[in-house]
Amino acid sequence: MQIKILNENEIREIEEIIEKNYDCKIDLKNYTVFVTRDEKIWLASKDIKNVSLSRCYRIGIYFGKIKRNKKIKLSIEGAFLIGKKAKKNIALIDDKEAFKFLQGYDAEAEKLIGCEINNFVLVKNKNDIIGVGILREKNGKIYIENLIPKARRISF
Amino acid sequence: MFEERIKKMIKDVEKLLNSSQEWKSIRVNTLKIDREKLFKRLCNKFEIKEMPWYENGFFIKGDISKTIEYYLGYYHIQEASSMLPPLIMELEKNDKVLDLCAAPGSKTTQIAMIMENNGIIVANDISIKRIKALVHNIQKSGALNCIVTNYNGIHFWKVGHKFDKILVDAPCTASGKIIKKKEIINKWNINRIKRMSSLQKKLIEAAVKCLNKNGIIVYSTCSLEPEENEEIVDFAIKKFGMEAEEIRLKNIKIRKGIKKWNGKEYEGADKAIRIWPQDNLTEGFFICKLKY
Repeated sequence: MQIKILNENEIREIEEIIEKNYDCKIDLKNYTVFVTRDEKIWLASKDIKNVSLSRCYRIGIYFGKIKRNKKIKLSIEGAFLIGKKAKKNIALIDDKEAFKFLQGYDAEAEKLIGCEINNFVLVKNKNDIIGVGILREKNGKIYIENLIPKARRISF
Repeated sequence: MFEERIKKMIKDVEKLLNSSQEWKSIRVNTLKIDREKLFKRLCNKFEIKEMPWYENGFFIKGDISKTIEYYLGYYHIQEASSMLPPLIMELEKNDKVLDLCAAPGSKTTQIAMIMENNGIIVANDISIKRIKALVHNIQKSGALNCIVTNYNGIHFWKVGHKFDKILVDAPCTASGKIIKKKEIINKWNINRIKRMSSLQKKLIEAAVKCLNKNGIIVYSTCSLEPEENEEIVDFAIKKFGMEAEEIRLKNIKIRKGIKKWNGKEYEGADKAIRIWPQDNLTEGFFICKLKY
């Protein structure tokens, strides 16, 4: 696993992207933050920096991926960390739509909080952040494009 | 042959062979939710009861793999007896821990949870296929303190790292799963036990070589066979000077290890514990705590 551990300035850049998109301040300085060649961002505990192993398959958790438009596509766990503090780009969905969303289908929002079309949104059902989607508009209809990875979907 | 051997170990063989599990078990993932909140949520959907020996364990009935709580990693489906080894490791927040045969990661994520995402856990497994399940579970649990490695466990000592606590949840013949899979009796094979026993000795040797002074090794299997359990502990004590330590658990029926078997006398067996399936309606488990 080839990684680049981010310095304070680079971590600050990620915090700013998140702050801009979700209107929330997060502090990633308490983590070891690193990126892999595929632009994926990973979070691990501070102590992990001190261990070096050659046949390393994975470190910490996948937080999100930096996209070409300089936005971050958060993982479910990334969304979980941000979700409690986020104030915008939140799409609330009801139980019926959440049921669909967890299976990998697109969903309709019950309420949108500070959302922009074609932007990443945190998908929230009651008090749970259940993942991330992209808010889309097609033929005048607004929906949340599903970004749940196949391995995490529930098949009912 | 299986029954004959078990008869030499315990008197209540019939009870063992007739035991079955009505309840599934789950472990709360306190890295994501606290137990009371989860209990309240699940109470509305399932028949659920507390696990007497572990505050973060619950027994539950129903289809528990298709809930939003499971999807979000609020709980992990884990066999009740397999929640015990991490509880015995005397884990401290800043420990450097090795989980030598970690996949699929139930115990690794439990260790991360107990350490509240502090310290370091090196979660190793020889199988890439099984490592995929391990990283999936680590991701889902939100465990930030894990490094997943892919070494052959028996050579792990060559890596040169030393650890405060080591879990050797060794690959085994899994005869303790008889409560769930009766067909285990038909697949029972003495040669497989011998092969496993040889591998387990190599694994415990690797663990001993990776252990810091005053460190702890917890050795466990879900096998009922003395060759895979007490014999390995005996090997660690006689060959490397390890010492078996008393294990204290509350509200669970445990039995001591088997001291004499097929003409051999095992050291440390009286300190090791056996969880027999018929005693608590869990899978069978063997656990021993070893110190330098």
